Amino acid sequence: MPPGWWLRKRHYFLYVVREFTALPMALWLLWLLYDIKSAGSAGFQPPRSIGFVVFSAVCLVFAMYHSYTFLKLAGVIIHLKVMDRTVPPRVIVLTMFGLWALASIVIGAVLIGFAR
Amino acid sequence: MSDVHLPAMRGGRPEGPGGAEHSHKPALMHLFWWFMFANGGGLAALVLPVHILVQGILGPLGIVLVVDQHRDTWTSILGNPIVKLYLLVLIALSFFHFAHRLRYLLVDFGVPAAKSTPAQVIFYGGAVVVTLVTVWILLTTVPMTLG
Repeated sequence: MPPGWWLRKRHYFLYVVREFTALPMALWLLWLLYDIKSAGSAGFQPPRSIGFVVFSAVCLVFAMYHSYTFLKLAGVIIHLKVMDRTVPPRVIVLTMFGLWALASIVIGAVLIGFAR
Repeated sequence: MSDVHLPAMRGGRPEGPGGAEHSHKPALMHLFWWFMFANGGGLAALVLPVHILVQGILGPLGIVLVVDQHRDTWTSILGNPIVKLYLLVLIALSFFHFAHRLRYLLVDFGVPAAKSTPAQVIFYGGAVVVTLVTVWILLTTVPMTLG
């Protein structure tokens, strides 16, 4: 393919953005690993800098895009039959987005609720 | 280009992870990579945004109290074996997903070397290394406590 093929159509560009989301999410998880490691060391420093907030905000945009595109694909990937009837893809996608909301509430509650 | 660009379609290539051309044997390696890719992507999609929002933005800005802002609460929750298992699964599966996506992104950008065996070793080996480092950190950072 010629260089710059992904800039020729919006669809191609969004596809590349979707694949690229892996990089910022990986970087943020590496930071989380560092945060876990620092919890047991003498150099524990909670993240409070504005630079870290900006970094996280950028990662959040990519993570949200990953979630939206990945969960939307669930209707194509997952094929379910209940009582010999195929579950419509739309129901599967809605269920996945519902699970996303539920998981966010539960994990958010744990992260905030166990803080002092 | 297909909209559904996943190992189910990619793995059919001989160079795909576990992909075997004209083989009648069960493609166990393909199944393994597909499992890691799909579950890593699904888990990251379901839980990563809220981690980033709370631990990366709301906590550092002081809008809410978050466990990792204070050493005592952070070490307390990290001592829970269920939390350790959750973090291991989240980080390990996600990195196998990331490795697969980034390798094929390079292929799509016209880097043929990304299809090679050394590239597979680097990307998936990297995911294995991150997994092992995660295990080591979780086992050595905060002692496990029940209760």
